[in-house]
Amino acid sequence: MTAAGKPISEAPILEVRDLATHFFTRAGVVKAVDGVSFSLNRGEIIGLVGESGSGKSVTGFSLIGLVDPPGRIVGGSVKLEGQELVGLNDAGLRKVRGARIAMVFQDPMVTLNPVLTIGQQMHLALAAHESISKRAARARSAEALTRVGIPDAPARLDAYPHQFSGGMRQRVAIAIALLHGTKAIIADEPTTALDVSIQAQILSEMRELAREMGTALVWISHDLSTVSTLASRILVMYAGRIVEEGPTAQVLRSPRHPYTAGLLRSLPAMAKPGTDLEQIPGTTPSLLDLPEGCPFRPRCDRASELCAKDPPMTRADDRGYRCHHTLEEMVSA
Amino acid sequence: MSSFLLQRILQGIVIMAVMSVIVFAGVYAIGNPLEVLIPPEATQDVRARTIARFGLDKSLVEQYFLFISNLFQGDLGQSYIYNEPVLQLIGNRLPATLELVLTAVLGATFIGVPLGIYAGYKPDSVTARTIMAVSILGFSVPTFWVGLILILTFAVSLGWLPSGGRGDTAELFGIDWSIFTLDGWSHLILPATNLALFKLAIMIRLARAGTREVMLSDAVKFARAAGLSETTILSRHVLKLISIPIVTVFGLELASTLAFAVVTETIFSWPGVGKLIIDSIKNLDRPVMVAYLILTAGLFVTINLCVDIGYAVLDPRLRRGRAE
Ligand SMILES: Nc1ncnc2c1ncn2[C@@H]1O[C@H](COP(=O)(O)OP(=O)(O)OP(=O)(O)O)[C@@H](O)[C@H]1O
Ligand SMILES: [Mg+2]
Repeated sequence: MTAAGKPISEAPILEVRDLATHFFTRAGVVKAVDGVSFSLNRGEIIGLVGESGSGKSVTGFSLIGLVDPPGRIVGGSVKLEGQELVGLNDAGLRKVRGARIAMVFQDPMVTLNPVLTIGQQMHLALAAHESISKRAARARSAEALTRVGIPDAPARLDAYPHQFSGGMRQRVAIAIALLHGTKAIIADEPTTALDVSIQAQILSEMRELAREMGTALVWISHDLSTVSTLASRILVMYAGRIVEEGPTAQVLRSPRHPYTAGLLRSLPAMAKPGTDLEQIPGTTPSLLDLPEGCPFRPRCDRASELCAKDPPMTRADDRGYRCHHTLEEMVSA
Repeated sequence: MSSFLLQRILQGIVIMAVMSVIVFAGVYAIGNPLEVLIPPEATQDVRARTIARFGLDKSLVEQYFLFISNLFQGDLGQSYIYNEPVLQLIGNRLPATLELVLTAVLGATFIGVPLGIYAGYKPDSVTARTIMAVSILGFSVPTFWVGLILILTFAVSLGWLPSGGRGDTAELFGIDWSIFTLDGWSHLILPATNLALFKLAIMIRLARAGTREVMLSDAVKFARAAGLSETTILSRHVLKLISIPIVTVFGLELASTLAFAVVTETIFSWPGVGKLIIDSIKNLDRPVMVAYLILTAGLFVTINLCVDIGYAVLDPRLRRGRAE
């Protein structure tokens, strides 16, 4: 259903193990990311979905070592092409960011500097990793803008961000992320702030670009349907953890975690016409005082005493889930 | 852009015209200079001739239009006291004030802004806290007191620097300047420091507040995600983002200090225009007062215009606002 990626035998470009990022606030420790593991193959697109506040953005920022205080990575490992990034010093991280792993943010209206031209900002991004003349930087930048579908790119280099629409600004941000031929990009809800038709355009363009350039993507979204059109694998995040993962088609057809099932039932496309959309009861728990055991327990209609104990990640045939009462039997029955 | 400029210049002209009326009427209302001009023992005849010579027998309106028509011929009148053309009188003293004020305001900006950026970038460091303590001091200690302390310390106790005057000057464009001689600098440094302290405090605060805000923005985070170094982020992204309030305050401070450097000029016997205006008020030297106030108004108008142009240069969003 999407770009299938290169042979699996190749080592993954990004390998994340037990990543944990906590915020040490006055009110207590917020475990925003708490033991996240996944790997991203070359050219692969994986989707990271979850409700607001589940820790998706913090996961993304942790991968490039940009967690704002009072947060900090407290454990785990992030390996980019075999190189460990957790614990790497600032200079080391700076060399990696933008060059070997890049990130696109949610709101294109605020990610670009309003008082610098697009050309200046792209020049700075280029000069961060190589010494380049102004003329060469302009040529490279114009090329990058053309690639993301910005018409009349050489002239647009002298324009300021406010002279672009939201969709165009996001394309500029994507062009900046792609400047150094980066092989891994974290896209943190890059289409959420845009209107629906632009969303669809950018989505399909991103998919094309990733395929052409062999770029692997971690596509973060709270919207399962967006992710399902794009990603070959899906990771479902809840309260700082991955609660389910697997190939997109399989997860959509037969979710194993009740939370994933709830997310699916709340999608308009999945509902029977004329019926109310189902909602998952309750709200995301405060990450400050998570309930003992399974964090989804208070909202789960299948919870039992067993759920007072934290369910481990169960992995079988390319899928994984953290639940004592997996839905597998019920759905396939 | 050019239509904006034209509009602002027209605005400036209107302001100047209104100011000239207010100033003229105001100074007229302060008091009659006759008592100063004419000795009490003068004869009736001398009295009448003097009044006629200074045009004081004409009505206020007539005097005003006479003043304006002379103004357009570059003549601002004669000082009653010094018997010199006012323009020459002010022109002889303006360079002294100009170099003192420019040194103080530029110094405060070029020292204060980097300090403020640092304090905003690393707000919890000991250095940042020290910088902020200095800025609080700069705000709360009165200028005249600092001036006296500076003189007591560096001129009287240590004897390192002179306590007043302009020192040696060198000529450029037919004007004498202290900033081109070493001795001039040794005279300039204390009064300039005195004037700069308050402005330094303001610049530090402005730059710090701006930097703190901008550092948390997505734009800076995105620049970091692209691998930019912290130095590049501060010098290219942050500096430009925080520059608009700094330019505003720079302009305001420059104008108001040029107009009101009186206290410092008096303490350090700096022969600038501040002292001249105080004397002219004491002596009811009308032409000097009027010319000085109108020149000051012109200065404010010009500096504000420059600040507005500065905005448009610094913030592209404002340029668009006008184009559309
Ligand atoms: N600076 C911070 N200080 C304290 N807690 C934080 C901070 N930043 C994030 N968090 C916590 O981390 C949790 C995860 O935040 P994150 O931004 O990753 O959520 P998200 O899944 O991206 O949500 P959204 O869909 O709204 O973007 C939140 O519950 C939030 O409370
Ligand atoms: Mg987010």
